[in-house]
Amino acid sequence: MYRYDEIDADLVKQRTDEFREQVEARLSGQLSEDAFKPLRLMNGVYLQLHAYMLRVAIPYGVLSSDQLRMLAHIARTYDRGYGHFTTRQNIQYNWPALVDIPEILDQLATVEMHAIQTSGNCIRNTTTDPFAGASADEVADPRPWCELIRQWSTFHPEFSFLPRKFKIAVTGSEADRAAIGVHDIGLRLVRDEAGALGFAVYAGGGQGRTPRIAAKLRDFLPWRDLLAYLTAILRVYNLAGRRDNLYKARIKILVESMGAEAFTRDVEAEFETLKGGELAVPHEEVERISAFFAPVRPGTGAAAQVIDPHYRRWKSVNVKPHQVADRAIVVISLKPVGGTPGDATDQQMEAVADIAERYGLSEIRVTKEQNLVLPHIDAAALPTVFEALKDAGLATANAGLAGDIVSCPGLDYCNLANARSIPIAQEISRAIEASGLEEAAGEVSIKISGCINACGHHHVANIGLLGVDKKGEEVYQLTLGGVADGEAAIGEIAGRALSADDAVKGVIASLRAYVTHREAGESFVATLKRTGLEPFKESIYDH
Amino acid sequence: MTINVALKPSDLDTAERVEIDTATSPDEALEAVTGQDAVDIRFASFKDGRGFSLAAVLRARGYAGQLRAVGDLLPDQIDHLTRSGFDAVTPDKADDPRWQRTGFSHAYQPDAAGAAPAYRQRTFAARKAKVDALNQRYRDASPDEILAAAQAEFRGRIAMLSSFGTESAAGLALLARSAPDTPVLFLDTKRHFAQTLSYRDALIETLGLKQVKILEPDPADESKLDADNRLYQRDSLACCDIRKVKPLARGLNGYDVLITGRKRYHGGDRTRLDPFEFDGERIKVNPFASLSEQAFAALFRSLDLPAHPLVAQGYPSVGCWPCTAPAEGNSTRDGRWAGSDRTECGIFDSARTTRARQASYRLI
Repeated sequence: MYRYDEIDADLVKQRTDEFREQVEARLSGQLSEDAFKPLRLMNGVYLQLHAYMLRVAIPYGVLSSDQLRMLAHIARTYDRGYGHFTTRQNIQYNWPALVDIPEILDQLATVEMHAIQTSGNCIRNTTTDPFAGASADEVADPRPWCELIRQWSTFHPEFSFLPRKFKIAVTGSEADRAAIGVHDIGLRLVRDEAGALGFAVYAGGGQGRTPRIAAKLRDFLPWRDLLAYLTAILRVYNLAGRRDNLYKARIKILVESMGAEAFTRDVEAEFETLKGGELAVPHEEVERISAFFAPVRPGTGAAAQVIDPHYRRWKSVNVKPHQVADRAIVVISLKPVGGTPGDATDQQMEAVADIAERYGLSEIRVTKEQNLVLPHIDAAALPTVFEALKDAGLATANAGLAGDIVSCPGLDYCNLANARSIPIAQEISRAIEASGLEEAAGEVSIKISGCINACGHHHVANIGLLGVDKKGEEVYQLTLGGVADGEAAIGEIAGRALSADDAVKGVIASLRAYVTHREAGESFVATLKRTGLEPFKESIYDH
Repeated sequence: MTINVALKPSDLDTAERVEIDTATSPDEALEAVTGQDAVDIRFASFKDGRGFSLAAVLRARGYAGQLRAVGDLLPDQIDHLTRSGFDAVTPDKADDPRWQRTGFSHAYQPDAAGAAPAYRQRTFAARKAKVDALNQRYRDASPDEILAAAQAEFRGRIAMLSSFGTESAAGLALLARSAPDTPVLFLDTKRHFAQTLSYRDALIETLGLKQVKILEPDPADESKLDADNRLYQRDSLACCDIRKVKPLARGLNGYDVLITGRKRYHGGDRTRLDPFEFDGERIKVNPFASLSEQAFAALFRSLDLPAHPLVAQGYPSVGCWPCTAPAEGNSTRDGRWAGSDRTECGIFDSARTTRARQASYRLI
């Protein structure tokens, strides 16, 4: 894992000191809420329905055991004993008191964490594949590049007041797992014919009320030029992006209105003026950062055979192959049947931190599916890890299956929401369990957003639900066929919106239609493509 | 950089100002500021970050006058303002004491204020440490050993800089023998003797050099600054800037390490030269640094190399024809900029390099 040097530590310290003064000025009445708002937003503090919310950055979703213990401590001491992991690989606390926030930030700084740029119209936390540095299928480890981008984007003098928020995702694998097609900038590590490392560059993807798949700007950008090229994209966007309409301010709208070709031309022209200068990424800095992400050592042995069917089921669903011998990737589902997607209690966080420390090189990841991952578990310890997770209520065997539902906080917490999300997710989770369809259906993604801002990523779900307020009634629109990773796709609206009860039934009906109509080995999306919407609509609307 | 926070526009000393707003396009802005001493960029809202990009673009394109931000700005934006290139601000609400706060101690990005970003500070420290360690080990090593150490350490980002002058063949021969794929950069100033160019081609052929890269002046610079081909008479420094310093700066992208042919016996700044050298940006490898003139001559003879055709005509060192003369002195560098106190063209001078990067922009 990356460790701060003096420069990194100084900057975080100076920022927390500065914010402490700003909070004091607010609490004493010197600063109005109006004047305080832009300051708190740049430090991850939102005003939600009931209270302030603090969003803590988990850079590219990577945590150490010590860091996760600190997150548990904050949940216990300053919140109500739990934290909420988000689709942006961050964690949110829903109940902190404003007066405590400077203290929380100070404590986070002791484990090299912060809440900088987790909100506001700036470059947000860079996200990546949660299996980075562990998965067998990667071209190169994306984490050093994420760290380079994290630093470059922190307190950027030119890009802190963009037309709108800005999100960058990096993947090192063909399989993606970072949804680069629906980000403002998506980067895919690739090698050219000579074997040199670089990036395929995409821009203009996004979800929200106008979902768009990103356009490819470049097949190959040498790694040396990464920061110059990012600067060029951001500069073109910052100068030309719309500022008159909040809903048309994201880069996807600019790329679409200019056309990908014209946008690329402008970016390349700006890049020509920037490349090779001070923005050239130094070889030594890449070496320095990469040394923190060296390949892990092999585990102590293969997993023993265990008869327990629960263990076997969990292992076949939640455990993924590792790039190093006798190590395994373990996905910890935060989606128990009927639970709140993404929530973890302080005790659960501590249990995970302990397991990671004992059997997994003290490393934990947060996923955009709102789960946790133990990326480097010693394969010999898998049965022990399963027992420990089971004791903590964290051994739900549904990673990547229908019950692994993604949900935004919805109307229960969020002042933007039109409809509840979490209770619907809980209902669907119970209905899937009751239907007995989960095992038969296999890998299917279900995601719920409580409003058109799409924080629940419903556009890119195989089965998506969007909460809409229809004359005071909460109704839900079903979308089918979305894909987040790899060949990203936006789901298609299935038909008229449904009441909460019917929406839950509609999800089960969609699963049933898939299981009925699929051919051997066919994915949800492939089946839908072949049959068209009709059989699904019939199942949803004519039951 | 400190910023001038002025309560009223009249607090600033310049009377003539041009004002543009944040909606101005970069091209329009460049046109508007050309020839101006003082420019205001007006922010209708602190959220309108276009002003930061406009300032950055104007500074990058060489606008050197005063650049002031006016309008709805927050004290918390003072770092953003100075680092984007503003040197003054007149905010709508200037009475906030927070306008006096100092900025952060470090930065992660290069900026108009000129401080090195964290990644460059770290890199320069690493390069300096590397050079110290290599000098410890190779101070008395032979040219071949120094070249081999450089290849082992810096393969893929190392190039040789060669003038194809009177002494160049020795370095080229050693390189061709050990690592003929190493790029060799040659500055074609368009002011070379014909003999230098034919000698270059002959050496490429004889030695089997595979990667000679010719760096030429930007035609736009030539037509702007040297349309009459007499720049060397008016301003020989400017001539070197557009014909050597700038093309090299462009050509060096991707090369962190440069092999040079400099030797202590050249005198001037070179008398204390080490085999490895950090110039504040790049590493230079000087395999012949410590060789005496006699030892170098012996090496040259032992390699059985052709001589530069102009040696026979009494030129100990050959550069561009306008600034090179035959000489009878004792030093190899005699005859370069004869009659002036110049001893270097500037490509080994990082201050000159930085200045020259902006040379064409001085027109603004």
